[in-house]
Amino acid sequence: MRGVTSDVVVSVRDLRKRYGQVEAVAGVDLTINRGEVFGLLGPNGAGKTTIVEILEGHRSATAGEVRVLGYDPERREREFRERIGIVPQEGGVEQVLTVREVIDLYSAAYPHPRPVDEVVDLVGLEEKRDSRVETLSGGQRRRLDLALGIASDPEVLFLDEPTTGFDPSARRRSWELIDRLRSLRKTILLTTHYMEEAQRLADRVAVIASGRIVAEGDPSSLAGREVGSAVVTFLRPDGVRLQELPLPEGVELEHSNGHVAFRTTTPTRDLEPLVLWAVRQDRELDGLTITRPSLEDVYLELTDEAA
Amino acid sequence: MEQFRRSDLMLLRRWALARLITVRRTPRAAFFTLAFPIILLVLLNSTGKGNTVDVPGGKVDFAQYFTPSIGVYAFAVSCYVAPIFGLATARELGTLKRIRGTPLSPWIYITAWIGATILVGLAATTLMFIVSIVAFGVHIYPHLLPAAIVTAILGSASLCAVGMAVSTFVKRADTAPAIANLTLFPLLFLSGVFFPLEGAPDWVVSVASIFPLKHIVEAFTACFSPYTQGSGFSAANLAAIVAWGIVGMVVAVRRFRWEAGVEDDARRPRAFRSLLQRS
Repeated sequence: MRGVTSDVVVSVRDLRKRYGQVEAVAGVDLTINRGEVFGLLGPNGAGKTTIVEILEGHRSATAGEVRVLGYDPERREREFRERIGIVPQEGGVEQVLTVREVIDLYSAAYPHPRPVDEVVDLVGLEEKRDSRVETLSGGQRRRLDLALGIASDPEVLFLDEPTTGFDPSARRRSWELIDRLRSLRKTILLTTHYMEEAQRLADRVAVIASGRIVAEGDPSSLAGREVGSAVVTFLRPDGVRLQELPLPEGVELEHSNGHVAFRTTTPTRDLEPLVLWAVRQDRELDGLTITRPSLEDVYLELTDEAA
Repeated sequence: MEQFRRSDLMLLRRWALARLITVRRTPRAAFFTLAFPIILLVLLNSTGKGNTVDVPGGKVDFAQYFTPSIGVYAFAVSCYVAPIFGLATARELGTLKRIRGTPLSPWIYITAWIGATILVGLAATTLMFIVSIVAFGVHIYPHLLPAAIVTAILGSASLCAVGMAVSTFVKRADTAPAIANLTLFPLLFLSGVFFPLEGAPDWVVSVASIFPLKHIVEAFTACFSPYTQGSGFSAANLAAIVAWGIVGMVVAVRRFRWEAGVEDDARRPRAFRSLLQRS
């Protein structure tokens, strides 16, 4: 049975998309459950938008199996389109209509749209309610895109870089909006360049590079992956030569201008002799830090490897 | 094919209304479609006052020929130029793609769009006629009026279809006005809109006869001529007009793209694809 309510909302098996000689998507598997906010992270040209557009029914897959709410998106059934919401990366609307008119017009085709005023308030366009689209700023235009995506009260929402071009406060408001949608058990697929956004919003993240998923998991576990390990840095105490310090064996030391740094997967054990030495000498290790890689570091490392 | 729903009529009405509001709020569009034909008519009829024009069967007053001929100009500008410019712009801005992601049937969007465009074109023509009747004493023959209305509707629909076909050849929206005007204006001159074709060189008539505009002008101006026999329906001209409309429609459907610069087999609605495969 199609369109049946189940816990798996998006399921993708070995998805491939070829444009001529280029394989934009080269075998992707995805499962997104009901109520989940899923982040698709990756550099430009990685295939994020292609994947999202296949799920939306805008593009056909070259190979693989795709199901969204039990539908085959490529068939583009009306019922399917009634139950999804799309916020495209770029999408025009009638320029001389007002914000209200546009939302009203686009939601007319849906069976149970949200009240227009509620949508306007949700995206924070109250002051622009009766202004023409052509008078909106870039960020306001993007919020209108968001409004059009949620106006139909969809079960699944596709957000393709929803906050690109937002100022920090507008971004924060959008995040709160996405949190509200999450609390309503909406399923959201989000693509983004912003690590902060993925970390803040996504329950699960997939990092995609060159058409393949190179890592998947919840944002914090991704960031804490072993590959990154920790970086220890401190300032070499005055009048002490590096060789006099009890540093761990076999690590690659970086030393310049008195700054010492090394990578380790066992920072506690490695630091113990150093800290003891400092305490005995009654000296302070200035600038001592242990840094765990951020999601951004992991992301850069992963996408570099794949490139 | 998706099942036709009752609410589709409501959607059709709403989208057509939105299109009409758009025209009304765009001063440039309102001027060129509504006001400019009237200005042209007033200038032309004022300079030609007292002259006569040769038409099939005899001579008529200057205004009696040029009111319907400029009337064709009025709906031709709206119905031919607007789809080229409007659809190319909607495609480039991503409006077509956005609509495709909603449950709105593309047929409803296109039909509402075309319907509103034809309505605007015919309103421009009607407005112009009212001015002409009052100011220049143009005569309306009631028995020819049904033919005039049918000719105007078929003519504007046919030009719309041809405009949609031409719009599929427009690569970038900013070239659309140039493409529209470069294809329209030479034909306006050749087709008897600004100069009657009675007594024109044979080659002009033969070239003009290939295109739909000459047939529209001929059929429409005949509906305002005292020498026209019968009900005024010009079968040969109407056949040419409908044929052009069908050709335009087929080309428009075959070449239709939802997105600028995207080559993808999912670009056409399924209904279009199955329609073409069957034929």
